Amino acid sequence: MGGKAESGNASPKSESMAAKKASPDLLNSLSFKSLKLKTKQQELLIRVSILGLVYVLAFIARLFSVLRYESMIHEFDPYFNYRTTLFLTEKGFYEFWNWFDSESWYPLGRIIGGTLYPGLMVTAALIYWTLRFLRFFVHIREVCVLTAPFFASNTTLVAYFFGKEIWDTGAGLVAAVLIAICPGYISRSVAGSYDNEAVAIFALLLTFYLFVKAVNTGSLAWALGSAFGYFYMVSAWGGYVFIINLVPLYVLVLLITGRYSMRLYIAYNCMYILGMLLAMQIRFVGFQHVQSGEHMGAMGVFLLMQVFYFLDWVKYQLNDTKLFQTFLRITVTSAILVGGIALGVGTASGYISPWTGRFYSLLDPTYAKDHIPIIASVSEHQPTAWSSFMFDYHILLFLFPAGLYFCFKRLSDATIFIVMYGLTSLYFAGVMVRLILVATPAVCLISAIAVSATLKNLTSLLRTKQKVPQTGSTKGAGSSKVSSKVSLDQSQPFQKNGAIALLLGAFYLLSRYAIHCTWVTSEAYSSPSIVLAARGAHGNRIIFDDYREAYYWLRQNTPTDAKVMSWWDYGYQITAMGNRTVIVDNNTWNNTHIATVGRAMSSYEDEAYDIMRSLDVNYVLVVFGGVTGYSSDDINKFLWMVRIGGGVFPVIKEPDYLVNGEFRVDKGASPKMLNCLMYKLCYYRFGELVTEYGKPPGYDRARGVEIGNKDIKLEHLEEAYTTSNWIVRIYRVKPPTNRL
Amino acid sequence: MAINKKLLSLLFLLAAVLSSSAIAASFSDSDSDSDLINELVSLRSSSESGVIRLDDHGISKFLTSASTPRPYSMLVFFDATQLHSKSELRLQELRREFGIVSASFLANNNGSAGTKLFFTEIEFSKCQSSFQLFGVNALPHIRLVSPTIKNLRDESGQMDQSDFSRLAESMAEFVEQRTKLTVGPIQRPPLLSKGQISILISLIVIATPFVIKRILKGETLLHDRRLWLSGAIFIYFFSVAGTMHNIIRKMPMFLQDRNDPNKLVFFYQGSGMQLGAEGFAVGFLYTVVGLLLAFVTNVLVRVKNLNAQRLVMLLALFVSFWAVKKVVYLDNWKTGYGIHPYWPSSWR
Repeated sequence: MGGKAESGNASPKSESMAAKKASPDLLNSLSFKSLKLKTKQQELLIRVSILGLVYVLAFIARLFSVLRYESMIHEFDPYFNYRTTLFLTEKGFYEFWNWFDSESWYPLGRIIGGTLYPGLMVTAALIYWTLRFLRFFVHIREVCVLTAPFFASNTTLVAYFFGKEIWDTGAGLVAAVLIAICPGYISRSVAGSYDNEAVAIFALLLTFYLFVKAVNTGSLAWALGSAFGYFYMVSAWGGYVFIINLVPLYVLVLLITGRYSMRLYIAYNCMYILGMLLAMQIRFVGFQHVQSGEHMGAMGVFLLMQVFYFLDWVKYQLNDTKLFQTFLRITVTSAILVGGIALGVGTASGYISPWTGRFYSLLDPTYAKDHIPIIASVSEHQPTAWSSFMFDYHILLFLFPAGLYFCFKRLSDATIFIVMYGLTSLYFAGVMVRLILVATPAVCLISAIAVSATLKNLTSLLRTKQKVPQTGSTKGAGSSKVSSKVSLDQSQPFQKNGAIALLLGAFYLLSRYAIHCTWVTSEAYSSPSIVLAARGAHGNRIIFDDYREAYYWLRQNTPTDAKVMSWWDYGYQITAMGNRTVIVDNNTWNNTHIATVGRAMSSYEDEAYDIMRSLDVNYVLVVFGGVTGYSSDDINKFLWMVRIGGGVFPVIKEPDYLVNGEFRVDKGASPKMLNCLMYKLCYYRFGELVTEYGKPPGYDRARGVEIGNKDIKLEHLEEAYTTSNWIVRIYRVKPPTNRL
Repeated sequence: MAINKKLLSLLFLLAAVLSSSAIAASFSDSDSDSDLINELVSLRSSSESGVIRLDDHGISKFLTSASTPRPYSMLVFFDATQLHSKSELRLQELRREFGIVSASFLANNNGSAGTKLFFTEIEFSKCQSSFQLFGVNALPHIRLVSPTIKNLRDESGQMDQSDFSRLAESMAEFVEQRTKLTVGPIQRPPLLSKGQISILISLIVIATPFVIKRILKGETLLHDRRLWLSGAIFIYFFSVAGTMHNIIRKMPMFLQDRNDPNKLVFFYQGSGMQLGAEGFAVGFLYTVVGLLLAFVTNVLVRVKNLNAQRLVMLLALFVSFWAVKKVVYLDNWKTGYGIHPYWPSSWR
């Protein structure tokens, strides 16, 4: 910048050539000038290489899970995704699309093709086919494991372009770095977490970026791109509802604040109409865009947009303002009236479905707790405490308000969008822990604005101060020009040492962020949760591989048509790894069926036996942590089984299982609790076992008590298999006794 | 009041007469029973939501001196005005729910079933002897006196903590279980009455054209940037402080220490939970640091006085440093994680 200022001073070129020998100062200026061309190239080179490094960093940070455990699929839902992907690559797309799965939800079955978001599976299959075409013969499991890190890398690129669009290239770069290692995003995209969110966050950010680009340029091409991004998002994740509500809300805010423009009109109309038509091609979504209450906002804004355009046109035609005012009043009133009546008639006639429970629980957070236990029971649907925010965002939380301030200082269509995205998603993140994921890109972008703008101001300040003594005579002109360049703020009287202190502080914060992210990724978010790890008494690592042991036992030792009953959490894993039919699984589409299982688990053995007979159950699988101290086992989930069971079958009452409102398993437990099926199956033969030195036999390490019923006799079931650490226990249901 | 007093003295008279003639007039049981019921019904019809306010005389008349089996059960709510200020007892809330159950019972039972159960309440400062009679020394306490109970100290009819944990619904379940009567669906009063709703709607309808006009002119509060900014910061604060968590889980602001009741616990150890004050304190620290950064880079630079500028900046740096340190420390303490960098193994 200094160079430019000087060359501006020595304006005619020939003159400067003549004075070359006389003044070394001017020589300097020339070399600066020739450097100038290179600076741009250098800047490009540095930018590209930073982006490349970030791309690699985002990928390798997510490989901790592979290094610490092995290349495998994590958790629960990913096993279903893996199973369907396998089916897709083996049988082809049409078979996959028409797949009726009789192995889950016995005896109902499940139409897989019509009840899933196929985006993830199709993406993985495409990657797999491409690799095979290029003669890389990899296993489909490796592709599935690495899909999430690959898409996380792509997200960093989108974040860069998005940051560039809303602020400048610096903010884009910082955003890319921040999002590459942000724990809030890593938690859902480590290698092996082969879930819809893995590709969905990429799609979400891409759609938003393209839409903002379309609004900024008013170009049909970008709007078209945004519609396709939306299509990809719809095909990948149910969270697309966020887009179809945020974008109209954004348009509405622009309309209200008087920022209506032709660019906005083009961008929104194209995106909405094409996106809607494309989204209807996904069978699971179908006609919801025109029929469900959650999508009506978008349609309302679309119509409002037409009214605005029409009014604009009339205003152009009419020169009489008074006439226009009357016309305006009539049009707006009748438009609102017609819209309201249409909505009312649609809802009343049942054509437009009312909002779903999940949507309600976001707007009125206490709704789920009172009305839908199946949503409230999932651990990732719990409300967020401040420590979770801190854990997932770290310093980004401190930077966010500063970023907001910067955005408001330089308000444009793009910054309004990012502010709205940030605030709405932060609110939703407060309601549900899992939605921290959706808020992450926005928090990263807004924080990146704060970081980049601050750093840029400070460094340019440092540079000018250094230049000032060198330029000597041209000081006045030079510095004024610099200050006009830097004019982001009036940082003129700021002291150099102050700037250095601030810079150091900023770098200290950023380095803490990097340390925090690395640690969190490696220790907290890389656990596959199907293989458990614990620290032994001597600090050594102990691995519990009981789940897989049990599932492989099922696969090898039971008849192929055996039906396994377990709580719904383990359904996907049993079908994918054990290859056996289950009664309920993680796709919780039928509440009654789940409640039936909950009822069986919480009834006495003979009552449960009748239920199990009616469902043709051959094996019952329970997860038990009393020996290892594993706390998320079925006894700790038991109250939810009671609640969900009791929600459909009022014979099950929660107070029967509690003593003075307290859930106990020791001697003071309620008699119903001590004799229900779940208790019996978990603690069968446990009374003989000494789990910890110095404690009586039958000491439950997960709950830290001695159990209350040590003498358990099973009548209709028999123990079939218990894994080496007792985490999974499988029981066989005996056939009815011969009556002859 | 006057009517009340009259009524009470009348009751007293009646009670005295009844008790004196109790031994002699045992054959006239059915008569006195219907009298009692009629009286109760008339008392009920004059009281709000059908909860009869009894005093010592009423208790002796309708419970102690009435011969068993009485033709009715009585559900007694023990109230104490002096304890209303203690919010953890939830007396007022429970009393309200009690009234809702009573009103629902009345609305759903018109015929003879309606005279089999009466909802009553007694207040501590006015009926201390009755409290002793029942042997009640801890609140909240709700007692069902079934027709056969002679000794009022018999605690079999006490409603457990778990029976009013889900408020009116679980109270109704308790009543249905014990008395074999049906309370029927609980009828809660709507949040806004019909009149209020219609007024609100008409206000909105009237205001709409004016609002639209102002919006089109572009001179509303909506166009004030500072308002939007403060709103945005508020939403941010609201979310990161975990306010939604406090609302959904109904967390208290702080707890009392179990070991030492004089000490208050403000911070809860364990990552999934938080107390109210804790969240606000940390949310405040977050916001302060962020706003200080914005302030230093955007406002402070305009200050002319160099010394003031330096001083404020040093202060800002110090405060931010302290806040960040504090939050990181708290987070580590709360989650129990010790976060540390990874150094190459050769450096150790």
